[in-house]
Amino acid sequence: MTGRAPAVDRAAVRALLRRDLVAVRRSKAVVIPMLIVPVLLLVVLPLLIGLGARGAPAPDLTRFLDSLPGDLAAPIAGLPSHEQLVVLVLGYLLAPLFLIVPLMVSSVLAADAFAGEKERRTMETLLHLPVRDRDLFLAKLLGAFLPAVAISWLGFLAFAVVANTVAWPVLGRIFVPTPMWLVMILWVGPAVAALGLGVMVRVSARARTTQEANQLGGAVVLPLIFLAVGQSSGLLLVTLPVALGVGAGLWAIAVLLLGRGARRFTRDRLAASV
Amino acid sequence: MSPAIETHELCRSFAGVAAVDGLTLDARPGEVLALLGPNGAGKTTTVRLLDGVLRPDRGWSRVLGADPAVDGDAVRRRTGVLTEAAGLDDRLSGVENLVLPARVRGIDEATATRRAHELLGRLGVAALAERAVRGASTGERKRIALARALLHEPEVLFLDEPTSGLDPVAARDVVELLATLAGEHGRTVVLCTHHLAEAGRLAHRVAVLDRGRLLAFGRPADLAAELWPGVEADLDLGGAAAPATLAALRSVRGVLDVALTVDGARVRVEGRDVLPAVVAALVAVEVPVYGAVTRAPSLEDVYFALHSQAVPAVPPPAAGVPRAPSSPAEPRT
Ligand SMILES: Nc1ncnc2c1ncn2[C@@H]1O[C@H](COP(=O)(O)OP(=O)(O)OP(=O)(O)O)[C@@H](O)[C@H]1O
Ligand SMILES: [Mg+2]
Repeated sequence: MTGRAPAVDRAAVRALLRRDLVAVRRSKAVVIPMLIVPVLLLVVLPLLIGLGARGAPAPDLTRFLDSLPGDLAAPIAGLPSHEQLVVLVLGYLLAPLFLIVPLMVSSVLAADAFAGEKERRTMETLLHLPVRDRDLFLAKLLGAFLPAVAISWLGFLAFAVVANTVAWPVLGRIFVPTPMWLVMILWVGPAVAALGLGVMVRVSARARTTQEANQLGGAVVLPLIFLAVGQSSGLLLVTLPVALGVGAGLWAIAVLLLGRGARRFTRDRLAASV
Repeated sequence: MSPAIETHELCRSFAGVAAVDGLTLDARPGEVLALLGPNGAGKTTTVRLLDGVLRPDRGWSRVLGADPAVDGDAVRRRTGVLTEAAGLDDRLSGVENLVLPARVRGIDEATATRRAHELLGRLGVAALAERAVRGASTGERKRIALARALLHEPEVLFLDEPTSGLDPVAARDVVELLATLAGEHGRTVVLCTHHLAEAGRLAHRVAVLDRGRLLAFGRPADLAAELWPGVEADLDLGGAAAPATLAALRSVRGVLDVALTVDGARVRVEGRDVLPAVVAALVAVEVPVYGAVTRAPSLEDVYFALHSQAVPAVPPPAAGVPRAPSSPAEPRT
């Protein structure tokens, strides 16, 4: 044997991934929140806010913008005053709220893939398949991560259409994606999905049921959601470089958690806990 | 011929409590080996060790020439397991529950689907082929899980309590089915069970486990011969034997043991050729003999005898004192 890790058995990983995706699509408890939350956050909310902001008489945002960090206020301060509110809210403040989508989708799916497998007593079946521990782990990660990113990107597309449409009468141009949005969907969003995954992998090792895993995981994930809400309500403001940095930090934590999770994800340990 | 399965001093404990303790046994290719034992005896743990799902603390095992602790995937490619809990995904149909794992094993979709339908039909659960298995009965689940264990035509089949939770008719059907499956393609089968009749019907050899330890291992007839010397015969005397009759029986040379039964007596003799003398002795004291039939001890007799040895009555026998096997010749009530 060489010291190098053997290659990933792609066919097996793909087959396992498919099994999880086929099964999860039939699970109402999983699918419903995965549809409702993105629709509320990325379609209904921007629609209401957009219509509200459009109808309201242009408020004087100068004082507010003055209080913002320079590089956050700069792209907005330069706009005509009637455009400022719509661009600020839809183009910037709402962007972090979007992070709830990848976070939620990945943690719901990860809870189903790890704790759910234990609860349904189907884990042992998997352990008796000729797949390496690492490939099994990888398949389960991808089964949560890929849909989380896919759904968040689809959600963002829907958001972009809604935001640009409601803002059209005011702006007369396409303004989403803003640079903030691009950072969110391409960098911070996937990081948050990976983080949710890392947390749930950790938590699922202890939890007996999906529900328990979701509760335990929620304790970790909720503060992050509050941070996102805080940002979008203007309490907490994140500039582009900060967003990039936060993304990097989240990735680092996620990779750390997932690395630990991978080391603990061994047949022997799993079989002893079923 | 090298054994299909071999273990040597295999040990595994959980939190300091031994689940499998120094297990040494083997199974020849094509053989059906029953692991018998009460709850917690270590049957499931043994299967998990043999399939490389758990690692042993000590000792080793080989399955089809590979060490499951080292090269588990090589072993698992060639084994099929019916786990104790069927482990079906409720959200998937019968066929999906079979095809998705088969895909992981590298069987193409078309072949897997065809075999899945065939097997489900053969096992009498074709109705669940296209339906989500949610709501399926225990017996139906067992059958689907059995089909899953067979789909890739494994050389070694592990069956962990295949009939537990089944009604008597379903259990008999499954046992009959296993009897044909076990013989197919020279497949080696490890059958975990606490149903003695099932083991008696299917197994070539039995390993009797208790609290992780091997109490006995061999063919049921050999185990019985070890436990009880001689041959046992039931004498039909038309009614329970009188004390004088029993005394007459005891006086015959070669009679080891005599016990009363409802329709006569049960004797243990040194060999078959003692029986004519037994009958002659009865005739001499004018006791009518309606029948004299030799009786092989059942697996049940063996099992209970082994367990009464393993769980000694208080106080435990002092070391070195030979333990007297309880005789199956005692009258039953
Ligand atoms: N993962 C585990 N963690 C802790 N203890 C375990 C674990 N697996 C098995 N044991 C213990 O090891 C012993 C043997 O268990 P095992 O499941 O192998 O028995 P079994 O013969 O299959 O019993 P049953 O007939 O009830 O299925 C039991 O005392 C059990 O409690
Ligand atoms: Mg068991």
